[in-house]
Amino acid sequence: MRTDTQGLRWLTTTAYNVLAIGLGILAGLVVVVYAGGNIEVALSSLFLNPITLAGGTQQIFVRFVLFYTMALGVGLALKAGLWNIGAQGQWLVGMVMVFVVYTFLRFLPWPVLYAAMILGAAMGGLLWITVPTILRVKFGANEIVVTILLNVVAVNFGFYMLSGPIKSAGTALGFPITVELPARFQIPNIFSGVPITYAVPATVAIGIILYLLVERTSFRIKANTVGESQETAKYAGISIPRVMVITMLAAGALAGLAGATYLMGFRYELDIGSFSTNYGLVAIICALVGRKHMLGIGFASFFFAYMTVGAESMALSANVTTYVVFAMEGIMMLGILLGSYLTERKFAA
Amino acid sequence: MTFALSDIITGILSTAVQLSPFYVFAGMGEIVSEQSGVANMGLEGIMLISLVTTFIADYLTGNPWVALLAALAVAGLMGAFFAFTAIRMRVDQIASGLAIYLFGLGISFVIFNTTYPTGLTPNYVGLPPLVANWNKIPYVGTIFLKQDVMAYVSLVFVVATAFFLSRTSLGLRVRAVGENPKAADNMGVNVGKVRFLATLFAALMFGISGFYFAGNFVPGFQTDIIAGRGFIVLAMVYFANWKPYRTLFAALSFNLVYAAQSEYVALSGTGVAAVSTLFNMLPYVFLLALIPIFGRKARPPKFLLKPYRKG
Repeated sequence: MRTDTQGLRWLTTTAYNVLAIGLGILAGLVVVVYAGGNIEVALSSLFLNPITLAGGTQQIFVRFVLFYTMALGVGLALKAGLWNIGAQGQWLVGMVMVFVVYTFLRFLPWPVLYAAMILGAAMGGLLWITVPTILRVKFGANEIVVTILLNVVAVNFGFYMLSGPIKSAGTALGFPITVELPARFQIPNIFSGVPITYAVPATVAIGIILYLLVERTSFRIKANTVGESQETAKYAGISIPRVMVITMLAAGALAGLAGATYLMGFRYELDIGSFSTNYGLVAIICALVGRKHMLGIGFASFFFAYMTVGAESMALSANVTTYVVFAMEGIMMLGILLGSYLTERKFAA
Repeated sequence: MTFALSDIITGILSTAVQLSPFYVFAGMGEIVSEQSGVANMGLEGIMLISLVTTFIADYLTGNPWVALLAALAVAGLMGAFFAFTAIRMRVDQIASGLAIYLFGLGISFVIFNTTYPTGLTPNYVGLPPLVANWNKIPYVGTIFLKQDVMAYVSLVFVVATAFFLSRTSLGLRVRAVGENPKAADNMGVNVGKVRFLATLFAALMFGISGFYFAGNFVPGFQTDIIAGRGFIVLAMVYFANWKPYRTLFAALSFNLVYAAQSEYVALSGTGVAAVSTLFNMLPYVFLLALIPIFGRKARPPKFLLKPYRKG
């Protein structure tokens, strides 16, 4: 009997999610058609271009790694009831740190420098989140407000580093740019010719390890208790600051790490283009859609990687700005949230 | 080139006074909304849509006041939808706020891009200065009389919001449903309705902010033009401990730091171009530095972010 309800519940949730995603896609199609695009071309761009175009497949896996790594951290902090709106900023600082290490620790031998670049990125993200963590634990300052402020600071810090300490002699459209990482500092493809780097299995491994460490141990209950009710946590003898510090620092390190895999596995150089992205917010959506579950977030991240690549391709097919993808994501997220409320209401005792 | 120190200081004060109302309008809205227990994280999305609406309505009618009405209508619609998700559907406010933001960020540029051909920027100039001959009066003219009437309206809103929350019965109800919705409900207050009205009011204020931005900040439109300034309002309200006058003070001091650093960068010429981004951080670092002082005392409404379920 109980499993029956669970199955039905899962089915209802899925149906609502599909409906929400469908609504988002419909909105995108309306814009494309309004702008004079062909609906067949739009649909095939949305669903097929990500797999048929060579660059598309690469983009899917690049974004999957990017979203999953960042969303794992966001989800982890969310378990403890903390909103890391600052994944974007930590990711930017992570990317800057890759080039700071590469520029200033050149004297290190290749494998050490390679590892130091990845580690430096994670440390950068971790350092960046230390500020909201300390302010939250020591002063009770709201982490949403602090991470929002630090996102702006991160952009300016990145601009500064890019226009000074880590810039190359060249420019991109008049703006400063770093050097391109030489091949031996790039993350190689697993099979030559197939654009899937070692970052993909590494990210999945991180997801599985976190799943084992978090979902399969008492830490899940501890974090959830802190997230649900601090009074209960206190009563149960759970150290609230400890849980907060662990989840927040891990979140920052993961977002920073995403900076290393993005630069070393795909972009190879840093310019101001990366500063005006919104990947940190998409990571928050992935964490919510994956229901803060370390593996669920993986599936959500893969879906959003595929969807955003397809939707951008759809927009470009009709000469529509790719900003339409943000609107589609907003609609999908709202729909999924409303769907989960309707599911709860339907199955509430 | 040398400038008189008095001119520099006048310029800084003038910029601070010009930019602050954008934060003040939205701040008053967010205060009322959060006092009722609902935080709207989607404020920047609503501002962006109002901003684009302002351009288009002004382009079509040539009347900025019609543009304001149009911006208010669109903002109200967005606010009503957000209120529906947060209050009626009890969806997580932060999540649905972020979704509203993403929607607004995307759709505002889509609308702009499909309305205006590439390369064209709207020639919206905003409202006229309060006093046409402002430059005849030294200092006071540049700092105060140059501003448009909405800058003064923002001050009226500060006084009105403070009065509303502390002196009127509806204001008391707003605070009651944010502080203890169950008790308010028992006393016959319609929690959902009060929260809805407060959230709607907030959205209308975000609409005015978007309108004000169009005439007083960056000319024209580009992607992500508000660039996080809307989110900063959340921080200001927080540091102001949900108090209207303190929010005005937070907005003015933030913009004073902002204006001072940008004036310094402009005067120093290209020599500090690279370092200018470091100075750009100052207003935000300034706000962060306030946390150990004010953050400790910040006491949010008890039921902020918590949906209320009757019965």
